[in-house]
Amino acid sequence: MLTYIIRRLLTLIPMALVISFLVYGGLELTPGDAVSHMIPPEMAGTLPPERLDALRDSLGLNDPFIVRYGIWLSGLLQGNFGYSLTAGVPIRQIVLDRLPATLEMAAAALVFSTLFGLILGTISALTRGTTADHTLTVVGMIGVSIPEFFFGLVAILVFALNLGWLPVGGRMLPGYETFFDRLPHLVMPALVLSIMMTAGVMRYTRSSMLDALSKEFVKTARSKGMPEWRVNLLHGLRVALTPVIVLISFRLPILIGGSVIIEEVFQWPGIGSEFIAAVRSQDYPLVMMIALLSVIAVLLASLIVDILTALIDPRVRLGE
Amino acid sequence: MTATLPGPGTRTTARPRTRHDRQFDRIRAREEAGTFKAPVQGRFFSKFRSNKLAMIGLVVFSVIVLASICAPLLTTHDPQQINLRAMLQPPSADHWFGTDRTGRDVFARVLYGGQVSILVGLGSALMATIIGVLIGIYTAYVGGWVDALAMRISEILMAFPQIILVLMLVAILGQSLSNLVLIFTLTGWGGIYRMARARMLSLREEDYVQALRAFGLAPALIAYKHILPNALGPIMVNTTLSTAAFILQEAGLSFLGLGVPLSTPTWGNILNVAQDLRVLENNWWLWLPVGIVISLFVLSVNLIGDGLRDATDPSQQG
Repeated sequence: MLTYIIRRLLTLIPMALVISFLVYGGLELTPGDAVSHMIPPEMAGTLPPERLDALRDSLGLNDPFIVRYGIWLSGLLQGNFGYSLTAGVPIRQIVLDRLPATLEMAAAALVFSTLFGLILGTISALTRGTTADHTLTVVGMIGVSIPEFFFGLVAILVFALNLGWLPVGGRMLPGYETFFDRLPHLVMPALVLSIMMTAGVMRYTRSSMLDALSKEFVKTARSKGMPEWRVNLLHGLRVALTPVIVLISFRLPILIGGSVIIEEVFQWPGIGSEFIAAVRSQDYPLVMMIALLSVIAVLLASLIVDILTALIDPRVRLGE
Repeated sequence: MTATLPGPGTRTTARPRTRHDRQFDRIRAREEAGTFKAPVQGRFFSKFRSNKLAMIGLVVFSVIVLASICAPLLTTHDPQQINLRAMLQPPSADHWFGTDRTGRDVFARVLYGGQVSILVGLGSALMATIIGVLIGIYTAYVGGWVDALAMRISEILMAFPQIILVLMLVAILGQSLSNLVLIFTLTGWGGIYRMARARMLSLREEDYVQALRAFGLAPALIAYKHILPNALGPIMVNTTLSTAAFILQEAGLSFLGLGVPLSTPTWGNILNVAQDLRVLENNWWLWLPVGIVISLFVLSVNLIGDGLRDATDPSQQG
């Protein structure tokens, strides 16, 4: 098991390094550098170019690209993510402020979609060929076809503006910050975010379950006289689960990506809405850093899922 | 020939006649009468045509595409014509989907917007397919470091959540229609590349490919002329599904105001106004119809893609 984890880490680290290199390269390509952001434009015109150059020298901006990358990377590893151009505060601070909200919503959506997807997919597989199965298939198809933000808009109109059951957006009201005060704010965005993933998980569970139920050991279990529900759940679903978990890990980037737009629709104060604000104001350091962090989050999540599947299914860790 | 065979009903065996005997008799009768026709169309078309959902998808798809192309015939309104005397009017006989805040006809904007949105979706999907297939088929056939390099690049691209990569590139390259197609192509070829590569790796070991290689054909010729056609089914399915995905992404980006510049009407740009809660509550005609059109269009493309998958998947052919 340990060798498996080490092997996975060894493939992960070079990839993270290459991506950080690309992100730094992209950052270098964007217009302006630290000096042009430090000095007001009206002053930059009056300063002699030699003074600007001396300033660049003293800041290390004239060093070779690879040296600057090394300095940037070592800062990154020590938690120095640089500064936001528009807010002027450390990016680290912004990320730490915003991250809990995003994690809260993504985790809730992950729980919803896994739960609903597994239940609906199992029902669909066990009733295959019937009206219930066909209906679920078509509903799943419709679920992946409606833009998530449009779903969000309709949900806001119906449940917040017309019925008044749930708040329009935001994460909490000042003074009402306990978990149960925040719950109504969370329900709608998390459910809307989970729709696409639910449809995917449902579809995959169905085919994985059908596959598992056609295996020999299921017949054996039936012939031993085991009750049908035990055959389906203990033998069918358990075996069907591994590929579904792998699929969920593949879909994590979609969940993270989806949260960007959903956060904007529901005014959710997470990393996603910060990212969009940064793209709008062309705050390049912030854009690049959030992109880099999202990739690292995806890589780490896929590592954890790989380890989990290796734990459930010994064939995975021995197979490679 | 007919003379040597016993005709229907003249069977001498004692075996009881079954349903299959009667079926066989009917076929032979038709053959003798000269009315028997072998199915002209391939299995692909007949399978696709018998898939009800896929046919519904095809009809909805055709209606929306035709309506967008024939926009000038369907509406006399100019999608950009500002009319301050007809601001925010609800749907009427003159303005089917009402008018927006500057008095522009929403129905015309949806039709003309469809042209751009469909073009972006379809264009990006086609470009991504061409690039992905060209690279995937060739590198998989050649193998070695070229293959490893292409695989690493696609892995890096696919590690990014797509919308974040797209937004990052929008921030760097700037907003324009051609940039959007370029960005979608750049971020979208990975999936098709991987599938083309996987198909190629399994087809490469087939006997007929070995034979061609023994004849001394050039690798590129074998790869593109003799292997590619056998991999077209899944590629077509993938292109269809990417079209749906790109249209959703364009809508999402333009909704945020970060996709196609707002001066060009697209489905996403029309929806952009719904970010305002007052519009959301009071002017449903500004965003609900176009949202439904997008959903219907994406649904129809997905249904077609699913039908194509069923019709081309060899493991499902009976």
